[in-house]
Amino acid sequence: MMLRLLLALSVMLGLELSPLHAAQAAQLLHYPAQQGTVDNSQLDISGAVDTPLIAPVLEDFHRLNPDIALTYRNLTTLEVYRTFIDGNENPQSDVVMSSAMPWQYQLANNGYARPLELDNAERWPTWARWRQELFGITFEPVVIVYRKALADHYGKINSHAELLSLLEREREALRGRVVTYDPARSGAGYTYAVEEARLSPRYWELVAALGGVEADLVGTTQEMLDGLAEGRYLIGYNLLGSYAHGFAEEHPELEIVIPSDYALVMQRLAFLPRSADNPEAARRFFDYLLSEHGQRVISEQTPLGAVHPALEGPGSASALRAQLGEALRPIRLGPGLLATLDKLKREALLARWNREFHRPSTPADTPLSEETAP
Amino acid sequence: MSAQDSLYRRLLVWLLLPLLGLGALMLFQAYLGARDTADRAFDRLLEASSLAIAEQVKWQDESLWLDLAPAALEMLATDAEERVFYALYNAQGEFITGNANLPGLSASDEQSLYYDNVTWNGQHLRVGVREARLEDWSQRERFEVRVAHTREGRERLTQDLFQGSLVRVAIMALLAACTLVLTIRFALSPLTRLRRAIRERDPRTLAPLELDLPRELAELRETLNELLARMRRVRANQERFIGDASHQLRTPLAGLSARAELALRQENPSLWRDALKAMQATSASTARLAVQLLSMTRLNNPETSPELVPLDLNQVARTATLGALGACHRDGIDLGVEAPEEETLIHGVSWQLEECLVNLIDNARRYGARRITVRVLTEPPTLEVEDDGPGIPAELRLMVLRPFFRGSDTGEGSGLGLAIVDSIARAHHARLTLHDASDGHGLRVSMRFTGDRS
Repeated sequence: MMLRLLLALSVMLGLELSPLHAAQAAQLLHYPAQQGTVDNSQLDISGAVDTPLIAPVLEDFHRLNPDIALTYRNLTTLEVYRTFIDGNENPQSDVVMSSAMPWQYQLANNGYARPLELDNAERWPTWARWRQELFGITFEPVVIVYRKALADHYGKINSHAELLSLLEREREALRGRVVTYDPARSGAGYTYAVEEARLSPRYWELVAALGGVEADLVGTTQEMLDGLAEGRYLIGYNLLGSYAHGFAEEHPELEIVIPSDYALVMQRLAFLPRSADNPEAARRFFDYLLSEHGQRVISEQTPLGAVHPALEGPGSASALRAQLGEALRPIRLGPGLLATLDKLKREALLARWNREFHRPSTPADTPLSEETAP
Repeated sequence: MSAQDSLYRRLLVWLLLPLLGLGALMLFQAYLGARDTADRAFDRLLEASSLAIAEQVKWQDESLWLDLAPAALEMLATDAEERVFYALYNAQGEFITGNANLPGLSASDEQSLYYDNVTWNGQHLRVGVREARLEDWSQRERFEVRVAHTREGRERLTQDLFQGSLVRVAIMALLAACTLVLTIRFALSPLTRLRRAIRERDPRTLAPLELDLPRELAELRETLNELLARMRRVRANQERFIGDASHQLRTPLAGLSARAELALRQENPSLWRDALKAMQATSASTARLAVQLLSMTRLNNPETSPELVPLDLNQVARTATLGALGACHRDGIDLGVEAPEEETLIHGVSWQLEECLVNLIDNARRYGARRITVRVLTEPPTLEVEDDGPGIPAELRLMVLRPFFRGSDTGEGSGLGLAIVDSIARAHHARLTLHDASDGHGLRVSMRFTGDRS
């Protein structure tokens, strides 16, 4: 009942939970079971992961488990949530994956997830799981993307502090050329805002600075990337790194920066619902997903970032940690996420956000300390 | 009593069983205590969290307003990763915000914060409810913060605490059991010594036990020693009796032998005849003596006491008197019976009582009575034999009851008559007393059946 309440709330608020454009969602991947295998079984996965991103993983799993007929439905995070909650989807999902961390956490907290009882799950790093029910399977930093031309004029941007200083310094030049999430429209943007506000009060200076340059507010990472590629924007703030990486490979004029003072890290959370029709097949999928092999596929063939501590190559959490150390701030997988979903909390934060964003411009005379965020 | 029964086992069982019960009780208590402690410790989290939330509650736009701090929820979860729920309700009990419609609790006392265990949507939750009011200048709206989490952390702490108690109680129980076993061994060791002392004794000796023992066993030793002393006396009596009996039998046998020897030197058959007559009389009296000795022995043997049956004393008196009538008549003695008309019932053995009366009548006859009265009294049932003979001086009246004691050296009695009477009286739990006759001249022997204790 509580979940319906929240659902109704998010619909009411017009909250777009997916960082992706809605048009790209609702795709289907199907891998039929190989002929001649005994014990054919079904596996239905609902996820808010773009099909090109997840396809290598699914293909590899299917190659190793040809007896399982696998169906992947790509939905928006809201659709994931809604179809799951309504419970009238047919067939029932056996695995639910989504980047909307608070919503996923809320589902698990209310007891919709089934404990896994797998060795791989037992060994999973504690910071990336909750009980044996909810698992962070990817490691995706939130990044700043800017056009390389910008660096030629104003120097590189390596941190939030540098971004803030640039925005305040070059207010006129950057007016309308900066883009970020609209926290009122985007669930991801809102989640980042909550987390960043928690990290440091200086976040509000940054919001004020973004307001100062009259930054464009959009709903998805894709919109930001498109705008940057077209040259409408010079700087994009708070893009989902996993999408940006793939995009930047095709658009060499874009530079991706993981801020060195702090970088939020988003994780896709997956769980096995109690209502699953094929829990055994789902368990096998989790066993694969949490294994070193499955994670290696994620790190090498997708931009999603692997969590498994044994992996140290590029695209792994360990590599990022080695590079950025303490600056990485994975969004904590804990009850604090529930506060993000609080209706009044949301109103309070958005009110504050708008207040800061539309704050009357103040001269940039505040001396900036070189000190990074706490 | 089974062969398995032993004092040691009994003590062990009856001390260990309560100890076991006590241990179980302690464990139960420890579990309750552990759960209580865990609840108290974890209730602090509910308290802190609900306070952190309550402090953020404000009045804004004519409504309650909450800027929920994530930390307020995070403090509800420990390493056990509890599920966490919270809700804010206004004074009218309307849901304002939260992630669950938590059930309210019935307010207890005046406290603003109370806890309870509830089952909600199939989950076991500990709910803490804080009643508070806004501390605004003008607005004093009441509201209620409800927080809850699942019990995993509490159960884990309870388990840990309880395991600690378990180890402590187990060690204590082990020590107690060891102490108990040693103590019982030590306490029972004098018993072993006593047993060994008794076992090692010469079976023929009746000397008292000399052994240092604790008080309870010392009493047992004294009792044993008393028994031994009685046995010594009994044996001395028996030895004397046997000596006396041998002596009594030897005299007539020696007389017989001498008479026969004397007669054999004679040639006159009429002298032989006299001798034979004398020898017949002597051997008859010796035979009687032997019979008396036999009945004496039989009476004194506690193993062969015949069963006591209801009988009429009047009948006994008549039968005995009838039997003795002939002899008395020959001697010119006046023998009579005085008995009530109705039956006088007691439990007894009729032939023994008859023998008793016969002995008494015989005694009186031998010691020169001229008149003998057998009397039956009813209250209490009593048999009396009264004569007008010489009587017995008061100081000798106890002595004459001993075997082979004779009031005077004259007479031809065996000295067993009264002793037999005494034995029979004892066997019937009757009281035997000797008195002067009612006219002050002669003897009255009275056997009162005081209580029917058989």
